[in-house]
Amino acid sequence: MIATLTIAAFVVTATCAAIRLVRGPSLADRVIALDVALVSLMGAIAVHAAETGTTTYLDLLVVIAMVGFTATVAATRFIEHEGARP
Amino acid sequence: MSPIAATFAAVGAATALLAGVGLLRFATAYARFHAAGKASPVAFLVVAAAAAIETGWSGAARLAVAAVALVLTLPVGVHLLFRAVHRTTPRAMTIDELAAAESSARRAGEGRR
Repeated sequence: MIATLTIAAFVVTATCAAIRLVRGPSLADRVIALDVALVSLMGAIAVHAAETGTTTYLDLLVVIAMVGFTATVAATRFIEHEGARP
Repeated sequence: MSPIAATFAAVGAATALLAGVGLLRFATAYARFHAAGKASPVAFLVVAAAAAIETGWSGAARLAVAAVALVLTLPVGVHLLFRAVHRTTPRAMTIDELAAAESSARRAGEGRR
């Protein structure tokens, strides 16, 4: 019951991020929307682990965090270089 | 799920919901980054506490590594995004309080070279 509600809240969060991803006026808005979607995926994985007691998928969390950070830094460098160009 | 873990999971999910709604509803890019970049690591920390209560020591160790990775990296990424927005759209602010610090840092860097 509570696990279903929690995962539903994370799904709503990811949906908000997806709407911002489509609508977002700037590229940085889209980048942070992807970041929030990744964090809500991490939270849903943690809730699933808490519900079932399995630790199999917890290794994914570190990978997701690292991939999200690398993508954010790469996109940030891209934004700054594009902005410097007239 | 035990009641304590359920409470932690509910609080974390509510915080994530705040992050999502703030990301969707706020008007300026700075406000959106502020909402999303501060609420989402807190949300994951609280949910990870719930999962650590439920999964025992092996799960708690993996969740601790993931939480440290997220808390160390996500604010840095959000800060880089703030700086990118600041540098590409300088007219978003009426007073540029970062300009003095940036120029003094640039001068200090040149002096070192």
